[in-house]
Amino acid sequence: MNRKVLGAGLALALPLLVILFANLGRDPHAVESPLIGHPAPPFSLSPVEGGPPVFLASLKGRPVVLNFWATWCIPCIEEHAALASAAERTGNDAQFLGVVYEDEAPQVQRFLEQHGKAYPSLLDGDGKTAIAYGVYGVPETYFIDTQGTIVAKFVGPLDPPTLEAHLALARGQKP
Amino acid sequence: MTPLLGRTLVLLALLVATTGTVVGFAIGRRPSVEGSAWTRRLAFAFAGLMAAANAVMLYALLTHDFSVSYVAQVGSRSVPTWVSFVSLWSSLEGSILFWGLVLGAYIAAATWANRNSHPEYMPYATAVWLACGAFFSFLLAGPAQPFHTVFPVPPDGPGPNPLLQNHVLMAIHPPFLYSGYVGMTIPFGLACAALFTGHLGHGFIRPLRTWLLVPWVFLTCAIVLGGWWAYEVLGWGGYWAWDPVENASLLPWLTATAAVHSAVLMERKGILKGWTVTLVAASFLLTILGTFMTRSGVFNSVHSFTQSAIGPTILGFLAAALLFSVTLLATRVDTLAPEGRLEGAASRDGMFLLNNLLFVLLTFTVLVGTVFPLVVEALRGVRMSVGRPYFDAMAVPIGAALLFLMGVGPALPWGRATPEQMRRALLPPLAGAALAAAIGFAAGARSPWTVVTLAFGGYTAWVTLSEIGLPLRQRMRDHNEGPLEAFAEANLRRGRRRFGAYVVHSGATLVIVAIAVSSTMGVSKEFTLRTGESAGIGAYTLTFLRTEARDEPHRQSMVALVAVSRGGKDIGTMTPRMNQYERQREPVGTPDVRTFPFEDLYLSILNLDADGATLSLHALVNPMVGWIWGATALMALGGIVALVPRREGSVAFVRAASPAAAVGTVAGRR
Repeated sequence: MNRKVLGAGLALALPLLVILFANLGRDPHAVESPLIGHPAPPFSLSPVEGGPPVFLASLKGRPVVLNFWATWCIPCIEEHAALASAAERTGNDAQFLGVVYEDEAPQVQRFLEQHGKAYPSLLDGDGKTAIAYGVYGVPETYFIDTQGTIVAKFVGPLDPPTLEAHLALARGQKP
Repeated sequence: MTPLLGRTLVLLALLVATTGTVVGFAIGRRPSVEGSAWTRRLAFAFAGLMAAANAVMLYALLTHDFSVSYVAQVGSRSVPTWVSFVSLWSSLEGSILFWGLVLGAYIAAATWANRNSHPEYMPYATAVWLACGAFFSFLLAGPAQPFHTVFPVPPDGPGPNPLLQNHVLMAIHPPFLYSGYVGMTIPFGLACAALFTGHLGHGFIRPLRTWLLVPWVFLTCAIVLGGWWAYEVLGWGGYWAWDPVENASLLPWLTATAAVHSAVLMERKGILKGWTVTLVAASFLLTILGTFMTRSGVFNSVHSFTQSAIGPTILGFLAAALLFSVTLLATRVDTLAPEGRLEGAASRDGMFLLNNLLFVLLTFTVLVGTVFPLVVEALRGVRMSVGRPYFDAMAVPIGAALLFLMGVGPALPWGRATPEQMRRALLPPLAGAALAAAIGFAAGARSPWTVVTLAFGGYTAWVTLSEIGLPLRQRMRDHNEGPLEAFAEANLRRGRRRFGAYVVHSGATLVIVAIAVSSTMGVSKEFTLRTGESAGIGAYTLTFLRTEARDEPHRQSMVALVAVSRGGKDIGTMTPRMNQYERQREPVGTPDVRTFPFEDLYLSILNLDADGATLSLHALVNPMVGWIWGATALMALGGIVALVPRREGSVAFVRAASPAAAVGTVAGRR
């Protein structure tokens, strides 16, 4: 056993491993949304199946879960069930809304027929609402409290516990 | 059905690789002919299974089978076929699958090449290779599974990242990079085998060197192709940014280059065995570190894949490989006893040592600069980046010193040099140094480091060319041959390794000089032009003619037509463009580059207003950038020349097949 080699090797390897380990899970691309703590940008968008447009302003008093998604996005398919079951469970206590990102109405309708439709999905034809919210890619979900203020943003597919925790924030409960 | 087939193949590969690892180590400890044959069969089986899994994926991509999760993620019906093809490695899971293919091919090739030789080493080496194979199969079977079944099957997919669809270099760069990265597994396995068996005989140095040089050639090309891609696609006008992922590819290249050199000393003098083995192991470990850097989401980079769950798994593998290597080295390195000793410091031998020292110093410098931001963030929670100034301040002097050493080393004789010999060797090339510096100064070089680099480049070029010419002149004199005949005989038929090395040195000299010139002597300007307006940069006049819209199935582009003239003479129209890809909101620009013998004119759109009548343009004149690409090709060519086996190689093969025939051949040649 060559102790010098062992010592030098470990002196190099261990700190490197510790540093890399300590940084696991950090996301260098994550930029805190500047909108958090600010009023949610207003919108009025038509549901996919037609009917009168939905105004964000008309939903004040209830927490809103605003989910940007598309049928071509695999993580959106993964999180669909979590969102749908949470929407059914909360009923009228919270308003779930989907905003369709870069997609076509017929495809969206076919998707919703297959996967179930628990809440309205709105068409954002020119992408203005996505731009106003600073959507970078789908899925992204914004949580808006009863006063119309954005309290949280989640990037990527939601699982039920994460969704529940963020919804609690929107209800005004401390995490 | 297809996803199931893919998953089955991956699982079988995992099974085969694991079995092969166990069998290989067992046979290494208790050698047997039959056992060695089984180790080889398992190696070939692993390669075959990986090839089959890749074929299944490629078929799914080309037939748009969106029931395969990876195809649903990166495929699209609207992209051209070549984009579907390169989608195989455009995203995380596919890139790991492709990694498996390359690893399998390498293992099969190295196993085949040594099927009749080095029976005491090969089972250990194969065991180490297949252990790596097992890890990547495990990634594919679990954390990075590309063959999940998607149901219901989506009608279409989003297509790969637009940056990757933007240039055909993207079809070439990753295969080269993987061939460089993955290939380092082979010399690592051979080095481990030398440590396990406790000897590194003269005969085993050749396969070690060969299998180190093969990935080295690929990695050299890959690093520069990456720079070329960045230059042609990203539009900021440069080719190297000390981005973590660029550094990740440079690190193993530095240690591998050092190892190629120390292997020469090992071969000639029987020294530095443990050191060479350490450098080879470091090259492999740095490729795994690089893989972690690109795929864990920990480092921010244009090249990195998005956040993924495989970061911890790769880190686990890196930790295991690091601890395995350190332990193996510590316990076994003393068995690799030196057979000679170093004579004088002022000799070619001494310069080899100094070269190794500088390469390792540069490796540390780049590694520290890359990892340091993580340390700061872990300790203080502040996000920071170590920028260009740090890297440039460290790399420029070390690079210049290495360039000079590339001249001094080969000029000096082996062993010991008398003061008179040193004077005769080292003084004449100063003429080359003075000439190159004078030409540079006349062309406008004023930065001290650029002038120094030019002088060192001239010095080294002088030495390199006279070393290439030396055996040629000898043959012309002694054998009365013409120059072409003498060149072919002296540098191509004999002394190919030596000649190849000097071709690599010529290329490297040009690359370093071109980097120094292009990074200090360029011109960069920004203009805003309305239709019909002109602006000047360097000797060029640019006139914005108009904007054209072009539609392709997968993208729409706005192309700015810019007429270029030099000295009043029209030299054509350049077309930088903005591309809007389907389902991507941000447009992606494509610069246009016009290459002249000594400089590039580089135009990139900063902004184009909605009616296409006002253009904001970034224009650069980049001297000698094109030389980097050409000189790298020269380096690769030199590497290939040095790799072509010697005639003795074929003799050894014959001897193994039939002793009598081999004796006849050898006798006949004498």
